[in-house]
Amino acid sequence: MAPDRPAKLLRIHISERDRYQGKPLYEALVDLCRELKISGATVFRGLEGFGETAGLHRPQLVGSDQPVVVTIVDSAENVARMALAAEGMMGTGMMAISEVRARRVEKQAG
Amino acid sequence: MTPLHDDIMTFLMHKGVAGATATRGYSGFGAHQALHTPKIEVAAEHLPIRIEFVDTAEKVDEVLPTLYELVTDGLIEVQDTTVVKVAREDAAGEPTAAHERVAGPAKLLRVFLGEADQWHGEPLYDAIVKKLRMMEIAGATVYRGILGYGAKGHEHKRSFWHPMRDLPVMISVVDTADKIEEATEAIEAMLTDGLIVTSDVEMVRMVRGMEKADGTGPAR
Repeated sequence: MAPDRPAKLLRIHISERDRYQGKPLYEALVDLCRELKISGATVFRGLEGFGETAGLHRPQLVGSDQPVVVTIVDSAENVARMALAAEGMMGTGMMAISEVRARRVEKQAG
Repeated sequence: MTPLHDDIMTFLMHKGVAGATATRGYSGFGAHQALHTPKIEVAAEHLPIRIEFVDTAEKVDEVLPTLYELVTDGLIEVQDTTVVKVAREDAAGEPTAAHERVAGPAKLLRVFLGEADQWHGEPLYDAIVKKLRMMEIAGATVYRGILGYGAKGHEHKRSFWHPMRDLPVMISVVDTADKIEEATEAIEAMLTDGLIVTSDVEMVRMVRGMEKADGTGPAR
């Protein structure tokens, strides 16, 4: 059994419509995670929500503007590097970091 | 003179056994090699009867000597069994009695896995949720991501050619620390590739037993 190790969980809250250099910001953020060798990233789409601009993010007929959350779990240093780099790419948005304990499970299939 | 099975049932009830069921067989034969069947109308009371109950080993030991005395002709069998679930309707009472409220420190468990991960022919996330329900975990929610990658570096992405290929899935569970510890062990045994993350949270309110009120309460 792998022991739990202390780690950080970073959530980046943005809009699905946010873009960075021509592609969706969430895709750019996941690419950045790869570049920074972050162990994993997951993007979730919310149903609706509102943030800093107080504009309601909700599905629209043209151009979806639903809230999107990019979630990563990694060591404190990696999360700090990622948060710093992500900040430069974001317009409006929110980042939250929380303390977690992580256990990586990797077994041979079968 | 009451039938023996009535006496046994009454005895078990008085002893406070959790529950007992008497079933009548359709036909059978025992030590006398006499066939008990309902074909002869008069002989209907000779049909084989089986009384079954499940309780703790101590309770069974307690009632066994009396049963041994009562049953002069028949078979008594004791079997080890694992009780998987005891479900009972909440006794009617004050409405508040149906709700169990818990507030205080708790743990939030997040499990990251792939949508395509399988467990004995069913989706792993489904199997995990079922397992958690069986363990009476307060609740679990499955989220499907729209993009992501794991430690293996393979991308989870919906593409035109493979619309349902392997999107990332996250299961989040909140319960008390010891329940989460149990859940973590169970999930780790089922997971082949994934990440289990726990964090401290403050449970503000947990209400159990809402099903009776509106029929759409939280899954147990």
